Amino acid sequence: MKMLRNAIFQAMAIAAVSAAVGFVFNSYSRNGINPFRGAVNVPVTADTTQSGAEGIRVIELDEARRAIESGASVIDARRKDEFDEGHIPGAILFDYYDMGTYRDRVLPLLSNEKDIVVYCSEATCDDSELLAKELYLLGFTKLLVFKGGFAEWSGAGLPVERGEI
Amino acid sequence: MKMTWSQGARMPAGDRSGTHWIFNPYLLLAFRLLLAAIFIYAAVQKIGKPLAFADEIRNYGVVDYGPPLYIMAIVLPWIELLCGISLVTGVGVRGAALILVGLNAMFLAVIAKKTIGYMGDGTPFMKIYFDCGCGFGETYAWKKLLEDAVYLLVSLALLAAPRHRFAVSIRRRSS
Repeated sequence: MKMLRNAIFQAMAIAAVSAAVGFVFNSYSRNGINPFRGAVNVPVTADTTQSGAEGIRVIELDEARRAIESGASVIDARRKDEFDEGHIPGAILFDYYDMGTYRDRVLPLLSNEKDIVVYCSEATCDDSELLAKELYLLGFTKLLVFKGGFAEWSGAGLPVERGEI
Repeated sequence: MKMTWSQGARMPAGDRSGTHWIFNPYLLLAFRLLLAAIFIYAAVQKIGKPLAFADEIRNYGVVDYGPPLYIMAIVLPWIELLCGISLVTGVGVRGAALILVGLNAMFLAVIAKKTIGYMGDGTPFMKIYFDCGCGFGETYAWKKLLEDAVYLLVSLALLAAPRHRFAVSIRRRSS
């Protein structure tokens, strides 16, 4: 019993030191996150009648194509190697998992005046929606998530750009 | 009369290591180094990537969005790292073992839950292949379940061991 008490005491000490070090590291890390942000409340809708409404709207291929043709900003939420292999023309790379690298690079290129189309690999990936939520929290409100992603775009025979931007 | 820990027996101090082969001091040291290597490696893969790790946790469908998810993503890799360091250095071995018992039991439960979900979709058990988010990439579910069960047993052995060699004893000061 005494040994178990000691184990619990030691475990609490390890957990406390881990939490302290973890939070300090997170606050200085370029990929650090605010653990108390309210991403859960970001409105996401698939209602196509809400064109122009603020929030995050999930769109299909046709609407993605129209939005891009009419000058919307396009964000590719995939990894750099996937982006280099092929992406939607004019897309800007913003790897969702490397916020620290891309945040400062990409955010100045975006504007609330224009729609922002975000996509990832395919319909089953949710990085585009997660990134759209991040962008919403950063103040961007005209966000369109192209759920079919690059697979649907290239599968439809639409133009593809290769290499780095 | 042979007595075991579970019976709450008080064995003579300094003579407990011979009670069972699993408490052989060199075997216990090997267990510590094995668990330390695994958990330090896993931690290093996740430290500094809280969003990616939060996404992995979210995929298990146990903790969704919000502070609990992000706090877990920030703190859990550091707990794994410090447990690994404790096991290597011998400082707070029993505490680290207690945490690893809890962590491995939790990992087993969530991976079992996910595996059952895949089986519900008609995938045969032996063919379920996924990224467990553990820092080791994609693997077969049965292999991961087996690994975690072994880690759980090894952690339990470290927790229950009467004595650890090459370790620093830290005790709470009793008033």
